[in-house]
Amino acid sequence: MSRRDGRAGQDVLRRVGEASVLVLISLADGPKHGYALIQDIKELADVELGPGTLYGALDRLERLGLIESLPAEDRRHPYRITAPGAVALRVHLDSLERVSAAGRLRLQLGGI
Amino acid sequence: MDDPRATRLVETALRCYPARWRQRHGEEAAELAALLIRDGTPVGSVALSYLAGAAREWLTPRPGQRLSIVACALLAAACLTGVSAGLLASAAPARAASTSQARGRAHCLPGFPAPAPDVIPAVSHPQLITRGDGHGRSC
Repeated sequence: MSRRDGRAGQDVLRRVGEASVLVLISLADGPKHGYALIQDIKELADVELGPGTLYGALDRLERLGLIESLPAEDRRHPYRITAPGAVALRVHLDSLERVSAAGRLRLQLGGI
Repeated sequence: MDDPRATRLVETALRCYPARWRQRHGEEAAELAALLIRDGTPVGSVALSYLAGAAREWLTPRPGQRLSIVACALLAAACLTGVSAGLLASAAPARAASTSQARGRAHCLPGFPAPAPDVIPAVSHPQLITRGDGHGRSC
């Protein structure tokens, strides 16, 4: 599926999976370590992230330069969103918003 | 984790990760598992999540890992699968043919019962008879 306006290249989060997006959203208001991330995501999205999935998402986001790990505190590594990570998240959320608005409009037009 | 069985299960799952992952996240992952289990997450679900994560970790090509090695491994696996499937496919008709041939020749073997009365007697082809109780064709 290609986008006509050429914005597809900017939305790096389109293909990283839901878990990575949720992790990035959770880190948007400040650094967190693994356990805090799982608790926060459960609260904000009602999604129970498994620890294996969490570390997969953290590694992926770190490789993409969207988050960085901070020095360990008592064996736990807190993670922080980077500036490119914040930009990527904003672009992705804007894109989701556009799709969501279009979907709602179509439901309205369809009278469903 | 107070339960030694739970500890062992999680440790086993964590051992499935590559060494570089264990060096980086190992201790933290064990602690996270302990916290989740303490909160009521089933041990099996934690271990299973780590096992799936380990499988993903092995299968995902790293930037340091040469992509060609991964591509070669995948290609070799695909070739082996193709060759095996080909061998199986070609062996099946051959096996079927040899079975039917063997069945056809079974009556040539010594001690095989004499042909039924409605079968054309062997004497109708005397030139081909090799044995008195045969069917008239050389086996």
